[in-house]
Amino acid sequence: MKAKRRVVTSSGRSAGASRTPVQRRSRPATDPVAPRPGTEARPASALSGAASDNGRGPVVEVDLSVDLGRGLVLPNPILVASGTFGYGVEYGDVVEVDRLGAICCKGTTLRPRIGNPTPRVTETPGGMLNSIGLQNPGVDAVIEKYARTWAGWKVPVIVNVAGESVSDYVEVTRRLEGVPGIAAIELNISCPNVGRGGLQFAIDAGAAGEVTAAVRRATDLPLLVKLSPNVADIRPIARAIADAGADALTAINTLSGIAVAPDRTKPLLGNIYGGLSGPAVKPVALRVVYEAAQAIKIPVVAIGGVTELADVLDFLAVGAVAVQVGTAIFADPTLPVRLVDELAAECRRVGVATHLDLVGTALPPRAGAPSAKGVEYRP
Amino acid sequence: MTMRLAAAELVESREILPGQWLQAYHAPAIASGSRAGQFIHVRTGDFSGMVLRRPFSVNTADTATGIITIHFRVIGRGTEWFTRLRAGDEIDLLGPLGRPFEVDPRSSHLLLIAGGLGMAGVRMLADEAIRGGRQVTLLFGAASSREVYPSSLLPDEVEYVVATDDGSLGHHGFVTDLVPSYEAWADQAFACGPSGMLAALARQAEGRRGRLGVAKLGRKRGGGRGDPAGSPAARRKAFLQVSMEQNMGCAVGACLGCVVMSTTGVPQRVCREGPVFASEELVWEGTWS
Repeated sequence: MKAKRRVVTSSGRSAGASRTPVQRRSRPATDPVAPRPGTEARPASALSGAASDNGRGPVVEVDLSVDLGRGLVLPNPILVASGTFGYGVEYGDVVEVDRLGAICCKGTTLRPRIGNPTPRVTETPGGMLNSIGLQNPGVDAVIEKYARTWAGWKVPVIVNVAGESVSDYVEVTRRLEGVPGIAAIELNISCPNVGRGGLQFAIDAGAAGEVTAAVRRATDLPLLVKLSPNVADIRPIARAIADAGADALTAINTLSGIAVAPDRTKPLLGNIYGGLSGPAVKPVALRVVYEAAQAIKIPVVAIGGVTELADVLDFLAVGAVAVQVGTAIFADPTLPVRLVDELAAECRRVGVATHLDLVGTALPPRAGAPSAKGVEYRP
Repeated sequence: MTMRLAAAELVESREILPGQWLQAYHAPAIASGSRAGQFIHVRTGDFSGMVLRRPFSVNTADTATGIITIHFRVIGRGTEWFTRLRAGDEIDLLGPLGRPFEVDPRSSHLLLIAGGLGMAGVRMLADEAIRGGRQVTLLFGAASSREVYPSSLLPDEVEYVVATDDGSLGHHGFVTDLVPSYEAWADQAFACGPSGMLAALARQAEGRRGRLGVAKLGRKRGGGRGDPAGSPAARRKAFLQVSMEQNMGCAVGACLGCVVMSTTGVPQRVCREGPVFASEELVWEGTWS
């Protein structure tokens, strides 16, 4: 099925009305905040699996659209992650790109970068390490080469922006501003693979807020900020980014790790350090999303080890409104499109008209409250 | 042919050398759509533990039967998984991928140079060349006679010359030692093997023109605009083409995991611009320093 793109209106639906279960079907896609437990009655029918106990019969049409703020309405919540899908053109006919929720393109910097020495990738148990090092032709070349193609697509393209300084991020953003075909920006302040690849911005709440605010001032494009899991406590950083004007958060980037060469004389990767991704990181991603979703009021886009529908549902349950598929694309390029269909089928099965009704079901009942335990961090 | 996802059924699997396997799969679209030098990217069955596909050169492709073969050494859990497949099992493959060897229409003498598993990279070119009426000499290097590719698996028309590091079969030494005897005979050379071997061959190829005192093949009198580096035309004119190997992620050019450094200073993707390159396109020493 193809989800409808809703028009932004304020036609008489108050936020309160939209959050009662009987109104779920017409919940405006413009509500930027995902329903959270405590502000909304639990969708009991969803959990019980009874499709018709609300007296309206089974849901036949499911609306998977999701609003990430500032007019960025994705047709569905399945995105492809930066660095795993190139510029959207590489998979050619193998993937129906127009059926994706959005494409996050390869990390883009102001000037061209040649990236890190090889080997750059290696498989690890349940995952992989990569140390590409942000190889890219620079923002101007990216615009020249791909923007025209993107403008012809229905799928929104989110440009992943990386840099070494606040001014780098701002300048790249300025050049992307107003270019047809570019739907949003995802700030990559969390690349673990380059000495000055921006990770310094992701590990400090002050710096994260500063770079987010600077980019926010420079653009009206919807702004996502991608978090690093390589921090002691994600919550102050998430709050700083939200307060600085980000429209949504993406969590998580890869975890820093290394592998050893087969002859054991040196680390395997040319860059020594790489970023771990794949199913191995899913529990970490779930934890970060779980915490971020409770700390902030803006939508969270989850990423980390999604390989099947159950993973998508898990991330929705801990508060994400959308998910990105990354490493799994390498093994199964058609997975993201299939997940769109499977998620719609799941919504029909449990009797909800939008996947947003499945969001936050595993969060603690008190909305917005930080985790009551507070002792999870033993870095 | 553009790449596609296809299911392929294992027809035959056998260990042709210690730890080295030859497997035949029924994949008609790939068999008829592949050219020598291209590869396939195959998914392992145990996705929970192994998240990456495995790239294999198309070792041979038979359009009539729809059979392709792959030749690999067991080096880890992924390749070991493949050896446990039985006839009738299906694999999920993506291909054909990458760019093929470029043979100049005027070339009648092809020199193929393979080191160890590099045989899989050039094996199909021998078939293609013979079908095209060309003469093929295949120089093969291995550590010892135990690892020498069986001549019974090669077309009869190929002149097969072997070198072993320990001298247990054929020339005692490296396969690169044999090249000077053939470089005047050959119109073009095609190589696949360990990076040290390819670097040595690239150095040899560099001086060839001067040593033989011949014009570069296909060069028009008075020069004119050269073909852009990396174009099929430019590769056809290079004496040596090499098939490169790198750890690979996506194999379609999206992840930039499998690059090699080019003389332009821009890393080239083995899966997309390669795996075949003209030797003069690449930097062979101190690539990232």
